[in-house]
Amino acid sequence: MRVAVLLKAVPDLVEELVLDEESGSLQYDEMSYVPSEWDDQALEEALILKEESGAQVTAIAVSTGDVDTMLFTALAKGADHVVKITGDFDASMSNWQQARVLSDYVREQDFDMVLSGVQAIDDVDGQIPGLVAGFLNWPHASVVTEVRMGGDSKVLLRQEYSGGLVAEIEVESPVVIGVQAARKPPRYASVAKVRQVAKSVAIEEVSAGAPAGPAFADIQFVRPVAAGRAEMIEGDVDAVADRIVQILADHNLLRRA
Amino acid sequence: MARDLLMALTIALLLGAAAFFAARMLPLVRVMRRARPTSRLDHWPRRLGFMAGQVLAHKRLLQMKMSGVLHFFIFSGFVILFIDIVDAVGQVFAPGFNIGPALDCVVDIFVALVLIGIVLAVYQRAVLKPERYHGSDERDGYVILGMIAVIMIGIILHESFYPFAAPLLFHVRPGLDPWGFLGYALARVWMATGLAAHPAIAETGYITGYILDIGMVFAFLAYLPTSKHLHIFLAVPSIFLHKTRPHGELVEPLPPEEGMAIRSVADMNWKDVMDLFTCTECGRCQAVCPAHASGQRLSPKMVIIELRDAVRRELAGEPPVPLAGGVVSAEELWACTTCGACQEACPVFIEHVPKIAGLRAALLEDGEIDKSAQKVLVGWDRQGNSFGQPVRKRPAWAKGLDVPIKDARKEPVDWLWFVGDFASYEPRVQNLSRLVARLLQQAGVDFGILYEGEVNSGNDALRMGEYGLFETLAQKNLAMLEKAQFNQIFTTDPHSFNALRNEYRKLGFERPVRHYTQAFLDLIEEGKLNPSPLNLKVTYHDPCYLGRWNRVFDAPRQLLERMGIELVEMPRHGANSFCCGAGGGRIWMEENGVSDRPANIRIREALSLEDVNYFVVACPKDMSMFSAAVQSTNGEERMKVIDVAELLAQAVGLNEPVETAAAT
Ligand code: SF4
Ligand code: SF4
Repeated sequence: MRVAVLLKAVPDLVEELVLDEESGSLQYDEMSYVPSEWDDQALEEALILKEESGAQVTAIAVSTGDVDTMLFTALAKGADHVVKITGDFDASMSNWQQARVLSDYVREQDFDMVLSGVQAIDDVDGQIPGLVAGFLNWPHASVVTEVRMGGDSKVLLRQEYSGGLVAEIEVESPVVIGVQAARKPPRYASVAKVRQVAKSVAIEEVSAGAPAGPAFADIQFVRPVAAGRAEMIEGDVDAVADRIVQILADHNLLRRA
Repeated sequence: MARDLLMALTIALLLGAAAFFAARMLPLVRVMRRARPTSRLDHWPRRLGFMAGQVLAHKRLLQMKMSGVLHFFIFSGFVILFIDIVDAVGQVFAPGFNIGPALDCVVDIFVALVLIGIVLAVYQRAVLKPERYHGSDERDGYVILGMIAVIMIGIILHESFYPFAAPLLFHVRPGLDPWGFLGYALARVWMATGLAAHPAIAETGYITGYILDIGMVFAFLAYLPTSKHLHIFLAVPSIFLHKTRPHGELVEPLPPEEGMAIRSVADMNWKDVMDLFTCTECGRCQAVCPAHASGQRLSPKMVIIELRDAVRRELAGEPPVPLAGGVVSAEELWACTTCGACQEACPVFIEHVPKIAGLRAALLEDGEIDKSAQKVLVGWDRQGNSFGQPVRKRPAWAKGLDVPIKDARKEPVDWLWFVGDFASYEPRVQNLSRLVARLLQQAGVDFGILYEGEVNSGNDALRMGEYGLFETLAQKNLAMLEKAQFNQIFTTDPHSFNALRNEYRKLGFERPVRHYTQAFLDLIEEGKLNPSPLNLKVTYHDPCYLGRWNRVFDAPRQLLERMGIELVEMPRHGANSFCCGAGGGRIWMEENGVSDRPANIRIREALSLEDVNYFVVACPKDMSMFSAAVQSTNGEERMKVIDVAELLAQAVGLNEPVETAAAT
């Protein structure tokens, strides 16, 4: 069983997004990047799968910037192999383009399963797993919280629905899965271990051409204008409490026993 | 004839016991040789002096009165035992041999002291039952006490029959010796009852006594290697081999590639291994451990015992079990605050904290760590702070000041202030930071900070077992410090203080570092700050990383004195201070299994002092921990947590008078 995990670097929201107000463009070079947290979940689920049923885990990233540390971290956590797809790419590369490049690579290998974060902060509609499945013409399941091996190349998935329902799904591999959360919180990779891996293991580099395809003509980013609805409540504890009670009462949110 | 037999028996017992002892000790020596190196033979004159104080004067042992005294009795008895052995064996091998009346007298005095010691020890174990013995091998304790008692009885017995048996066995006629008063008294009993007159009884009595004495000494020797009483042999060398590197340094400079993780016995250094077999299971460490007191599963004593038993099992041929997470559970390991109270209490100077941190490092390598703490590690790696806040907000606290603070990266300063995470990001402590800045400004100190250039010192990361992250953080700071021009470092944070002073050495950094309590004291002495008396009554909490690990006890106390403040000490203060529970990364971890928080225990200790309404702290984490603790113990009415800097600001007229907090 060979499992591919798609990793992606996204802007670090703890630091500021750098926006050129005039042109409405993000200054990609001036921002810092971190691994997408949903991809971390996907990787964790793949590693659990490896521990359970001996899957071979390959982590793949498109080189939209410095993705080496992210890949070494995946190795330090237990991935067997890491691949960096290089080309004339940068951080502004669209999800569609990334999905195309990734699926081109996956097609050439014989993976039984592709795991990706269900979404990312710059892919809130979760295009990547869906598009990769589409390009590969593989089945796709999204918002998955558990992946297990079934018998005869079957894969068992779990999805959580609202209203407390859980779906247990059986699919034939190969399959692309958008992972919402792993069964356990992602493990830690110590700095020393990442460093040691970086010294002893090489990242496989695969080059790819820039994919042609649909793209937005222009995107303008603006900061939302504050609507000014917030009310700062001031005064001592009693005054603040009275005011809160008043607001709740005004909105009919108080139920008196 | 009988004498020949006795001689043969003595020799056989000696050889047997020695061979047995050696056979049991050799494997330990082999384990120690396979372990990592550590240099413990430098500064030997200092080591000898230290050893003398601890061994001959029982300095640390006597910190617990009853145990110390009874141990001193038994310990001195052991020294005397050697005189007795010479005497007893001499009598057999060289008829007429005599050590002289003075030594006879000394031997008997100590036999009496040892017997008193044993009675006290049994009383302590059986009646007082201190909690610290919980988990120790009680049987072993009694076996040893029993053996010692038998030896003592043997000494007196053969001594008492000697005058009557000697003519028969050795063909000499020694008189009664009143100097050996215990034997003499008993001899008079034998005479009065007529037993002395029967040659058979005299001979049997003597031989029985001799075998109880010498025979048991050898049996003791053979028994020791499997007992906690191996400390009889190992304690003295162990104390000699104590750590002489800076006390606050957790790990020695590591040889490259070799991390600090302790996975197997071979990953410990040889002194670590020796420590395991030196432990006396006395439980003093357990009695002072804040994690243990708070109801968590950790006991430093049990960590040592568990590791020791694991080594024993491996020696017995059992397959090795992983030490971290197996032999010592993850739950135990992550409960440690690295406060160092255990090491401070241990009479044989066992170093628990480096072992715990090494075991944590092994857990961490397997990705096993509390999830909130994991976020903090990641935050340090990415943003350099534990608050998950952007780098650029680090100096935000300094904004509201009238006089801006110099950027030490850009211009030379006299004092470089290393601010630390809490003082930079935690809102309540930010106020304190501004106050400290204003105090420095008032004193006319030329100072600056590193602004966004500072990252966390790495002290806690190291104590969580993350050596690599510590190194990364330290290198970032060092790169900035190298660029900056300054004469000394000044810090408000004991954890940073410890890292800068003790841990950065291994990366080549050696510049003077002072804690703000030390620096402010100097400013007052130089007349740059002139506090007027505050007339308050306070108690002071020694932060672990200022006090215990760096021995700064006096500066904060003198500072309070200069402000006309009366200090009332809590029962546990100075080197015996009780941790707030925040250290070693605990502040970010889940409080699993905590039934009573260390900070709450501490506040209750302070509340027991009469008429004391201020709990003075000198560490930003203490401010957070104890403010919460005062609330959760309902002590707000009575006790106000206050930083030394707030008091000083008031004493020099910078601040509003501190609220007269409590109903006195
Ligand atoms: S360092 Fe403190 S918390 Fe850790 S084991 Fe020792 S006494 Fe307990
Ligand atoms: S480690 Fe030290 S203090 Fe703790 S039980 Fe052993 S000898 Fe006593």
